[in-house]
Amino acid sequence: MSISASHRHAAILVAALLVPAAADAHGVIGARFFPATISSDDPFAADELALPTITIFNHETDTNFDYSKSIFPGFAIDLGMGYDDAHPPGGAHASGFSNLDVSPAMELFRSPEHEFIFSAGVDWEIGGSGSRSVADRSSTFTPTIKYGKGFGDLPDEMALLRPFAVTGTVGTAITSTNSNSVAWAGALEYSLLYLQNNVRDQGFSNFVAHLTPIVEYSFTSPVDAGGGGETTGTFNPGLIWSGQYTQLAIEAIVPANRASGNNVGVIAQLHFYIDDIFPDTLGKPLFGGKP
Amino acid sequence: MNARSFLACLAIMGFAAPAFAHAFLEHAAPAAGETLATPPRQVALAFSEQLEPAFSGVTVADSAGQDVEAGHAVVAGESMSVALKPLAPGTYRVTWHAVSVDTHRTEGAYSFTVKP
Repeated sequence: MSISASHRHAAILVAALLVPAAADAHGVIGARFFPATISSDDPFAADELALPTITIFNHETDTNFDYSKSIFPGFAIDLGMGYDDAHPPGGAHASGFSNLDVSPAMELFRSPEHEFIFSAGVDWEIGGSGSRSVADRSSTFTPTIKYGKGFGDLPDEMALLRPFAVTGTVGTAITSTNSNSVAWAGALEYSLLYLQNNVRDQGFSNFVAHLTPIVEYSFTSPVDAGGGGETTGTFNPGLIWSGQYTQLAIEAIVPANRASGNNVGVIAQLHFYIDDIFPDTLGKPLFGGKP
Repeated sequence: MNARSFLACLAIMGFAAPAFAHAFLEHAAPAAGETLATPPRQVALAFSEQLEPAFSGVTVADSAGQDVEAGHAVVAGESMSVALKPLAPGTYRVTWHAVSVDTHRTEGAYSFTVKP
């Protein structure tokens, strides 16, 4: 490639980034709207705020916040932190702030006609940034791939299955203490909005049409001798209501085996679509968004 | 401001924000999956948000993929519609795309059937 050609290509790229165009709304790919999942990460890089996410499980109550800021279209950085309050049976009460999580993520491939999205990111739990009483002192890096797929491309004979969609993440958690593990999580969801608008009108009220029954899962499997133990994780069946600007979600936390917990817990989240609440300021990418 | 007040402010911000969001389809006539005894003369769609007419539209095609609109789509406010040619019995596919005034794009498609 000649210098002038590369300059021309660079100019085209910059122009493409800067030209005002219709933006993809958060969680939208083709005709599919994916609500933000609460027990596992979703593949979208968007302007969102989860505040609070409250988790009650295994004798511990965690209150977390996550703020995701898009830097340019398709690339966002998520900041997460929380306050943990643990009352282990027979153990000492412990409470304090969890470590800060910094998670850049980038959308790498979108196929609107197949309602498919693929992205990748890194989660960096900054060891020692939280309270000594509850937070690890060592950092953990988790390179992660993420995907979402809606089944709107199923044939007519399977039309009632089209509202189904899945999301998933797979990452390798790398720690400085040689206790590496694979973190795998995801969701199976059935969109009543998709059923109502794209398959068969069921006469749902506006409220019911915006509900998404969902089952999330989140597991960790040790991958080396330092990890020890067995695979642990939970299945989280629940319901998400997605409005124009906010989302409410609640799920049960069902341990998958005895090593994962002894009792059913609960997780709930209030979520804000910042790109819709502040479309011209906080809710647009810092670079390359609409003017 | 204590934590409870802060959360209350956030909730108000979220539920009472001005109307700039992506456009959900709220009503369609004919509706998705509907079977009609009488051919419709138009397809009318209502959305949750104001639409950008220049970037929103709807097409209707028969099972052979041939367009059956009788004219251009009309986009105004929160709705869009398109007149149809006289429809023979069969299944028809409605394909729409909508850009709300904050430039967020949504799209969808569904089928309806005209009985013999």
